[in-house]
Amino acid sequence: MTAFFDYLLGGIGSGAVIALLAIALVLTWRSTRIVNFAQVGQAMATTFVALAVRDASGSWVLGLAAALVAGAILGLIVQALILKPVRRMDTSGAIIATFGVLISLQAAAAMIWGGSPQPFGPPIANAGLEVFGHVWPISWYDILIIAVTALLVIGLGLLLTRTSVGLAMRASAFNPEVARLSGVRVGRMLGLGWAIAGVVGAVAGVLIAPSATLAPNSFDIFLVFAFTAAVLGGLDSLVGAVFFGVGTGVVLSLVTGYSDSSSAPVVVLVLLAVSLILKPEGLFGRGKARAV
Amino acid sequence: MTGMWLRVRSSRLLLHVPAFFVLWLLLSRINTVIDPYYSHVMAMVAMYAIAMLGMAILVGLSGQVSLGNGALMAVGGYTFALTSMHWTTVPLLGLPWNAVWSVICAGLCGVLVGFAIGLIAARLRGPYLAGFTLGLAVGIPAIANRFAFLGGSNGFMLTVPYPDGGYSDSASSDIATTDNSVLDQFLSPSVAPSDVPASDAAASDVPASDAASSDMLTMDDVTGSGSASTTSPTPSASDVPSASPSNVPSATDLIPTTPSGTVTDPGFIIEQWQASMAIAIACIAGFVALNLVRGRQGRRWRAVRDDPIAAALSGISPAMSKVSAFTVSSLFAALAGAVFAQLLTYVGPSAYGVGLSLALLVGVILGGRASLLGGVIGAVIIVGLPSLVGNVADGRGWPAQVTDNAPNLIYGLLLVLVVLVAPGGLVGTARDLAVRVRRAVM
Repeated sequence: MTAFFDYLLGGIGSGAVIALLAIALVLTWRSTRIVNFAQVGQAMATTFVALAVRDASGSWVLGLAAALVAGAILGLIVQALILKPVRRMDTSGAIIATFGVLISLQAAAAMIWGGSPQPFGPPIANAGLEVFGHVWPISWYDILIIAVTALLVIGLGLLLTRTSVGLAMRASAFNPEVARLSGVRVGRMLGLGWAIAGVVGAVAGVLIAPSATLAPNSFDIFLVFAFTAAVLGGLDSLVGAVFFGVGTGVVLSLVTGYSDSSSAPVVVLVLLAVSLILKPEGLFGRGKARAV
Repeated sequence: MTGMWLRVRSSRLLLHVPAFFVLWLLLSRINTVIDPYYSHVMAMVAMYAIAMLGMAILVGLSGQVSLGNGALMAVGGYTFALTSMHWTTVPLLGLPWNAVWSVICAGLCGVLVGFAIGLIAARLRGPYLAGFTLGLAVGIPAIANRFAFLGGSNGFMLTVPYPDGGYSDSASSDIATTDNSVLDQFLSPSVAPSDVPASDAAASDVPASDAASSDMLTMDDVTGSGSASTTSPTPSASDVPSASPSNVPSATDLIPTTPSGTVTDPGFIIEQWQASMAIAIACIAGFVALNLVRGRQGRRWRAVRDDPIAAALSGISPAMSKVSAFTVSSLFAALAGAVFAQLLTYVGPSAYGVGLSLALLVGVILGGRASLLGGVIGAVIIVGLPSLVGNVADGRGWPAQVTDNAPNLIYGLLLVLVVLVAPGGLVGTARDLAVRVRRAVM
């Protein structure tokens, strides 16, 4: 039974990172109705930037700051240069374009930094805490991850629901035409949504890197994890993404604990398939009437 | 040209038979006279072309963007490998087993799996479908990685053909282990000793070669162009110029599986044998695909893609149309996977990774998703570009990591560019131009 709780607790830290990536997916979906499959590519690229800055300056915090800036810029660039023009065409075009961005980013990163994994250590101890003579599967680093995730979610929630910018962003996403008539700069709001998603993705990348080594494609699997979490949460809901992100992390931790880590992608595939069979629009998503 | 075909529609099937027969004879003849290296290239193009036909039907005609066809190729490849390793006679018939039976099994398995997945996929739209099929691309190779009877992360090395055209397992080697360390690191509870940062520990137990081979987007592994031969599990064409006759005691028995009887030659060349099989299957697949696309089923697919409501009102079931497209696409993917397995003489999770699925998507979009010809052109692009880049890079002192990844960068940028500028791909754009020119002239 102790083992069960150890696995359960151990999954929360990894789940928080999955939740962050899922939030990034939800943000782009909410602002432009595009699931940005390039999100992990952007996160990977910004994490490499963070690594370079950290190694040059010796400061993990400076590295993180550089990643945040790079994430915002990259999000803006991808949205403005590629997805804004594509959006006027069909949805499959946008999906294919995001995969084009993903392939390009991974190839570019491999050309610049090489394909072999690079170590990117955590800023603080990543060892299990010892309390009451038991080594708990939670480290200070996990606590940092959980705290950052919680802060980001609360901050985003406040931004979207309590500020005029958030209102304008939601209006632009909900009905661009009416928002434009009401004086909202819709284009800017969509760009802002992507920039914020880029920042969240950058945070996720920097936080994942210590637990998974940093290579051009080492985040690929997290795209599937995060997508599963986002879909389970309905793709529209920040709370849903966090809940199911952490849930996915816990399930993976349990699977890994009782079986081994090679079962994890299989279990996630089953999870994704079952949820899509039961509710093709996501468990928390509002079912929309479909023509056929 | 299409006009001529349409006018003789009643005899279309009859016309396609000799056309593909002549194509097959021609390609088989070319295969016997060229250098084994080019036979290997031909086989790779044929293999990709088979898969691309399925992609053109699924993405182009049925309008379902799939990233999972690489995983469906794995279904075919593993069926091919397992049946040829474990079965010596055909059940019920009692005939001796050979590669043809393995290919048939691979196709059947592809149909079954494709139908089951298609039932789920038909309900999904846009990003849900893309995400689900991406999950397949990651999850299905992971199934093979997980279970020992599927070879685990090592996969199976298949030896050169038996006299009866089958393959044997040459004992799982540890050449190509898929790198699980990322997941191990991520998922294991963090109870590492405090003085060793977890990441450093991870880096030390990942040899550089493994890391490179796990690079899912390194299409060199997939195209087998040999530039990554140190990391690739696959004996590339240049490594195996010809199998020594001692490996193939009586190559004459191979005749049933090979078209032009070249193997009666004692100088049996494995690339030629592989290419002949790939070409034969590609010609059959092309014939089937063309008749499906030009026939009633193709019209149904297009009708559902363009306007599902109107199609439903005309008595076409959109759901069944989508499921049938997925099933047919999966059949072609599985056949391509079987050909891939015998080209690499290897099956393993790393061979059928996400990179393969992405390569298929790139090929079909660049070539032109709405036509079978576009798929075939896409196959040529996917196989040709890495060696083209290699030629350009030669003698310019580019570092290996630039040369190896430049094709992927070009694929990615071209993919974005095509979506932005020419959604029809090469073939679609050429057709648009032709129409415009014709209008201008008339």
